Parts: sequence; C-alpha cells; structure tokens
Amino acid sequence: MSVTDAMAVPNDDAPVLEVPKRSRRKGKYNAKEVGLAFAFLVPSLAVFVTFFYVPFARLVSWGTYESQRGGASYKQVGIDQYTDVLGGNEFRQGLWHSLQFVLYTVPAGLILGTLLAVAAHRRLKGIKVFQAIFSSTLASSVAVSSVIFFFLFNPAVGFFQVSWQSDPSWAMFAAALPAIWQNLGLAFVIVLAGLQAVPDEVMEAARLDGYGAWRRLTRITLPLISPVLMFLFVILVIYGFQAFAQIDIITKGGPGGATETLVFKIFKQTQDYGKGAVLSVGLFCVTLVVTFFQFAILDRRVHYGDE
Amino acid sequence: MATSDVSKGAAELGMGQSPARRNLGLIGQYGSLGLLSLLVLGPIALTVIQALSPPFTYVNEGKPLHPVAVSWQDRTWFTGGPISLIVRTLIVVALLAWLQKVASGGGWKDGALRAPSRLVAIIGGTVVLALAMNPLFQSFFKADGNTLMIYVGAVLAVAATQVWGFLSPTRSPITSVVMALFTGFGLISFCVLTMGPTVWTLAWTRYDLGPAMGRSFVMAILITVLQVATAIMAAYAFVFLRFPFKRILFALFMATLLLPIEVTLVGNVATIRQLEWTDTMQALVLPFGAAALGTFLIRQGFRGLPSEIQDATRLDGYGHWAFLTKFAVPLTRPVIAAFTVISALAAWNQYLWPRSVITQNSFNTLQIQLRLASASEVANANQAIAAALVAAVPVVLLLIAFQRQIIRGLTAGAVK
Repeated sequence: MSVTDAMAVPNDDAPVLEVPKRSRRKGKYNAKEVGLAFAFLVPSLAVFVTFFYVPFARLVSWGTYESQRGGASYKQVGIDQYTDVLGGNEFRQGLWHSLQFVLYTVPAGLILGTLLAVAAHRRLKGIKVFQAIFSSTLASSVAVSSVIFFFLFNPAVGFFQVSWQSDPSWAMFAAALPAIWQNLGLAFVIVLAGLQAVPDEVMEAARLDGYGAWRRLTRITLPLISPVLMFLFVILVIYGFQAFAQIDIITKGGPGGATETLVFKIFKQTQDYGKGAVLSVGLFCVTLVVTFFQFAILDRRVHYGDE
Repeated sequence: MATSDVSKGAAELGMGQSPARRNLGLIGQYGSLGLLSLLVLGPIALTVIQALSPPFTYVNEGKPLHPVAVSWQDRTWFTGGPISLIVRTLIVVALLAWLQKVASGGGWKDGALRAPSRLVAIIGGTVVLALAMNPLFQSFFKADGNTLMIYVGAVLAVAATQVWGFLSPTRSPITSVVMALFTGFGLISFCVLTMGPTVWTLAWTRYDLGPAMGRSFVMAILITVLQVATAIMAAYAFVFLRFPFKRILFALFMATLLLPIEVTLVGNVATIRQLEWTDTMQALVLPFGAAALGTFLIRQGFRGLPSEIQDATRLDGYGHWAFLTKFAVPLTRPVIAAFTVISALAAWNQYLWPRSVITQNSFNTLQIQLRLASASEVANANQAIAAALVAAVPVVLLLIAFQRQIIRGLTAGAVK
C-alpha cells in the first residue's frame, strides 16, 4: 500500500483526509501541513538556537582565544588554552569540589528520601498530614533554604554557633546542608510514587511466605522501586553538579576557594570569556560523561519489571 | 498528597495481635513519623525562633528582650490599617471554613458550611479570636507573668466556638473536643506568630520584598506562559503533523537538555551584554522561552490520545487549529497542568541566571534579593531571616493549591 502511494502521481486534488493515517507514511508532504509544522516549531527553535546552540558554539570557539590584560583584547592561541586549563589545577580543583558537593548530597538524598517514603507509605489515621509535612520542603527555593541554613549555622548569630562556613574542611558540608534538606521533599515524593506503584499483591504474597518487614524491604520493595531510585539518583547528581546558590550565599566560594565548584568558577569567569568558555566546555563534557556513565552502569543493575 | 491505597496496612497494624501490642506498635509508628517530621520541619521551626528573637542591636542598647522590634503595647487585632485588617480577618475566616469543611467530610458546594453549627464556628471563632488577641498582646508587652494564663484562656475560648461544628454522628464527643482544642491552639499560635510581631513587615519594607516579589511574579508568569505555549505548539507539530526532518528536529530539541544554563552561562551573558539587555525583563525571560522537557511531556500526552479522535474530527471538517484547541489541549489537560506548575516553580526559583544578568539591586528578583538580605548587616539578622520566610509564602500557597499537579509533574519521569 505504502509503496503504491509513494509511486503514485502527485495529485493536489486528492482528498488527503480520506486516506488512512498509516498508509500516508511514505506519501508526499502536504505543503500546508509542513508550513504549519514549521510555524509551530519556529518559536521553540528560535529560543534554542539563540540561547542554547549559538552560545555553545561561540563558547567552543572562544576557548581558543586567550584574554590579554584582563579581557581588554583576545589573542588566538588555538587548542593550547584548552589543554592548559582543562589539564590545570583550577579545573581539577573545581571538579573535585563539585564532586564533594555531590558526595554530600546524593547519598543523603537517596537514603533519607527512602526512609521518609517507607515510613509514610502505610495505612494509618492522619498519614496524609505526615505526607504533607515530608513533602513540604518542595516549597523552599535554593535561595530560601540557603539563607535559612546560613543563619542557622552562623558563627555570630546562628542557632548553632559553629564556624563551619569559614573552616576549609567543613565549608563544603555547610554549603551542602541546605541542599540535603531541600532535596528531602523531592526525594520523598519520588520514592513514595514508586512505592505506590508496587502492587499490593506482591507484598501480600511475600508476607504470606513468611518474609519479615526488613526482608520485604530489602528483597522486594527496594529491587522493585530501583528504577525510581535510579531516576532520583540521576536528578540528584545533576542538581549537585549544578549547585550554585548554596555556595554563593553561604560560603561565597571561600574560605580560600575551598568551595569553588565548577559552576561557581564559571560564574566568576563571565568577564574572561576565553577561560570561562573552556571551563564551560569542561562542565559540558563532565555532565555528558556523568549522564552516559549513569545510564550505562545503572541500566544493567536496575530491575525494570516486565517493561 | 497522592492517595495511598495500602492494603498491607491492615496486616502491619497487627490484626491478630493482642490490643496492647497493637497499641504499642501504633505508638511506635506515630513516634517515628513524628521524629521524621522533626527532621523536616526542625530547621523551619528554629528559623522562626531566630526571626522572632530580639536583634543584636536591641540587646546592645539594653532594650527589653521580649518585643521583636515591635511595641506590643498598642497592638490589637484592629491596628494596622483597613487593608491588613481585612486581609488578616479573611485569612482566619478561610482557615476556619477550611477546617470545618474537612471536618464535615463534604465539599465546598454541598452546603455543609451553611449549617448553623458551622456558621457559629466560622463567624463566632473569628470574632472571639479577634477580641482575644488584644489582652494577649497586652500581656506580651507587660510581661507580667499572666501571659500563659491568657494564652490558655484564648485557646479555650476559640475552641469553645468550634466544638459544636466538629460534633458529628461518626465522631465521639471527646474527639470533637480534642479537635477543637487543637484548632484553638493552632489558630491562636498562628495569629500570634504572623500578626503580632512586626518583624515580617519590617523585613518586607527594609529589603523591598514587594517590588522584588512583583518582578519575580512577572518573570515566572511570562516564562511559564511562553514555555507552555511553545511546548504545546511544538508537541502538536511532532505528533500530528507530517514534515521533513522530523527526527532530526526532535533530536535537536532533546539535545538542549544537555545544555543547561550552567554550561551556556558565559555565552548567554555575552549575548545579553551585546544586546544591552542587562537589567531588563526580556533578559530574564527569553532564554527560558522554550523547554524541551515540556515538549517531551506534552508530546507523550498527545501520543496517548486515541487516533480515532483525530480521524473523526478530521472527517467532521475540523482544521488543525480547531482540533488543537477543542480536543488535543483539553484532553491532555492533566499533563499540561502538571508541566505548567513545575515550570512556574522552576521559573520562580531561578537563581544563577538572574544573578548573572542583574547588575543593579533595584532590579533584583526575589531570590537575588534574599542573597542581598543575607549579606547585609548581621546586627539585624532576624529581619533577613524573616525575609527568607516571607519569600517562601507564595510557593507554600502554590504547593497547597496545586499539590497533585506538582507531584505529578515531578514524578513524571519516575513512574509510568
């Protein structure tokens, strides 16, 4: 059918509407339809080209220019700036700091989110109140949570007068705390949605087989919700690598650059386009690698049910 | 919250166990849930205490510690001008009406609130509360040791107005009384915290939260409208229209997910500077005018529509526009609503981009204004803390109003 359609002589008068949908696949495009499609796509494309692809392309080329005299002029240095910056201490340091932030926030988010969700996934009078409480941190923004924790752990006026924010070995933890707290709501909501999707019969069967609560959790519930946990893991890692407000508000990169993550270093380089561009491309590569790595490793270990 | 139909609950509650053991289990479950709530709400509670604590300047100048930058002396329910009086009265009326609605188990429309007992609870409760606040604020000012007594008295007075409304055949009288007491305590405490201290209004004026909030509102609304509109159009094209290079274009759309603002920041800031758009609304809005995530989600929604609908409407002579507005969009409303709400939330919470393209404090969005507040003098830290709490209120309201949509949007990728 489709073959004959494709070979048919084009006939503009043909009543397109009466042709069944599937068989039109190889047919000639309808000019009006194509026009409408592009009219519908142009707004999005305009944004994507202007603010996503063109800036990125410019960044890749700017990386080959080195700024002279604090950005007054630029000199073409080719690939050298890439090798210098990406192989240099600063990039490695920024990457390590970003990784530290991820290491503080991601396991905490997974463990606490699961804890909250398992605790609140039961039939109990008033459980909805607890569910609302557990998801309540969704209402706070990064700025709100950062300001709250900035003052909670402030050496001068804090509720807990500790000097974490100015201690190089604790500063990153101080910046990660609001993120850990703020992620509670998101992690809870996501894991709970996963738990609610587990059929009750499965748990019932396990219970009849004499599985205790702990074995039900570790042998059945967690494997069954592992796709959800992986989803949560991925977004928490991405959030972690993109974290900025916590550092901007709480430690301002300090003390002595101890909390300058990759994103923070990029933010500081919006004057030096050359170096900022190289760092941006570096961040792009890192997120790319992380994303692929996550999907490659986790895809195999995760139980996807009968999908 | 999404409903949890958990049939294992009955088993876990311990059918077949002795009542004593079951009660012990219940106490354990509520106890652990309470502890976890403390973990989540603890920081907020401590922050409220900090916001209400006397600022350092007060302590240094030897001023009394109990007022929080406020003279409680002239404070009554009726001070503060007509607008704030009306607003705070409406808040109390709404809270009481909502509680009565929940207690009646009915909806807003089935007339449950028109029963005399509920009218007494709503109107009487508001009047008693308004009158009780005056002696309470006075005793805070005098610090004469009677505060606790007056507090308890106010709670009991408000509770008394609620009991009749809470009574119902399905509920024991004792439960109704306990509910009324909780209502009284909650309302009185809420009013003391939110309407007593002027630290909230001080923070509001000191850090220009009004204009900043206005700018954040405009920004969030513009971004949301643009994202939803462009996503619906693009998704429609990808699902219902035939055009060349469809796969390549779709890949081009999805690839933007790999270019978050953090990566393109330097390039975008350069663009904005070249256009001389720093400190303008279009600089805040246009880079987020389209979202691949929205296109993806709405495309999934459109694909879920039975193809018979499209065929039937085509035969009835509907054009693409009519099909889009009369069928495709209304039928995928849950998906679109979910995306709308998470898009608005994300836009409202923007931080890195506004921080990068705003150079003048007078153009700060709310989130950036909070950073400014936290960076200002430590002596009035309680006002900066109060500013953070005030800034969270609109999102709290959004979360309460659109809980279902937000949760559906956030979990869209997690559960199919």
